[in-house]
Amino acid sequence: MKNNIRVERAIKNITQEELAKKTGVSRQTINAIELNKYIPSTVLALKIAVVFNKKVEEIFLLEKKD
Amino acid sequence: MNTTRYLFPHQCKKIGWIIFLISLVLVVVSFFIDTSNSTWFDWKIFIGYDGGFFQDQPKILKWGIENVYPTLIGILLIAGATLAGFSKEKNEDEFIAKLRLESLLWAVYINYGLLILCFLFIYGITFLSVMEFNMFTVLIIFLIRFNFLLFRNSKSLINEK
Repeated sequence: MKNNIRVERAIKNITQEELAKKTGVSRQTINAIELNKYIPSTVLALKIAVVFNKKVEEIFLLEKKD
Repeated sequence: MNTTRYLFPHQCKKIGWIIFLISLVLVVVSFFIDTSNSTWFDWKIFIGYDGGFFQDQPKILKWGIENVYPTLIGILLIAGATLAGFSKEKNEDEFIAKLRLESLLWAVYINYGLLILCFLFIYGITFLSVMEFNMFTVLIIFLIRFNFLLFRNSKSLINEK
């Protein structure tokens, strides 16, 4: 699974720290998700989508290998 | 989301590390000083079972004098390492919970891998020492691995905005 959180953050102009605060997780977690080192839980994915005011599938995308 | 079930509060982490360090000091001391002959640690305690040496009668469920140095080390080490490893982080969340569980799995693998090596290569009375260490190695390997992962992840943050 890949995601475009980094792009969305750039569009909204918010830092990892701010996104982390808004979703109630640590900055490490946001960083790990952006680096594709961690797949967030459904709850967290939904929270992130709410922050960007988009649908989950617009931010998180399945890859061929999934 | 509740990812923090079965964890101690964050404040316990520091207490755990302090207890853990004290127990390590006691371990190091026991390498240099023969604590089994020191009367300092001969305390009157309630004994569940002490088989004694060959000629002695076993003591079963009664009060008596025992050397509590190993008792102290064992309890402090387990309590300290457990609190240090299983207290919530300052910003505990699902990712950290995953790191913790993966570290635990990793520690169990490494621990029993090492134990298999010990079974293969260590024989005789020395194996008793192996068993002594092995009582604590899962926790210690887990602590090292978990903190290493936390450190590595916090380090990868530095370059980010």
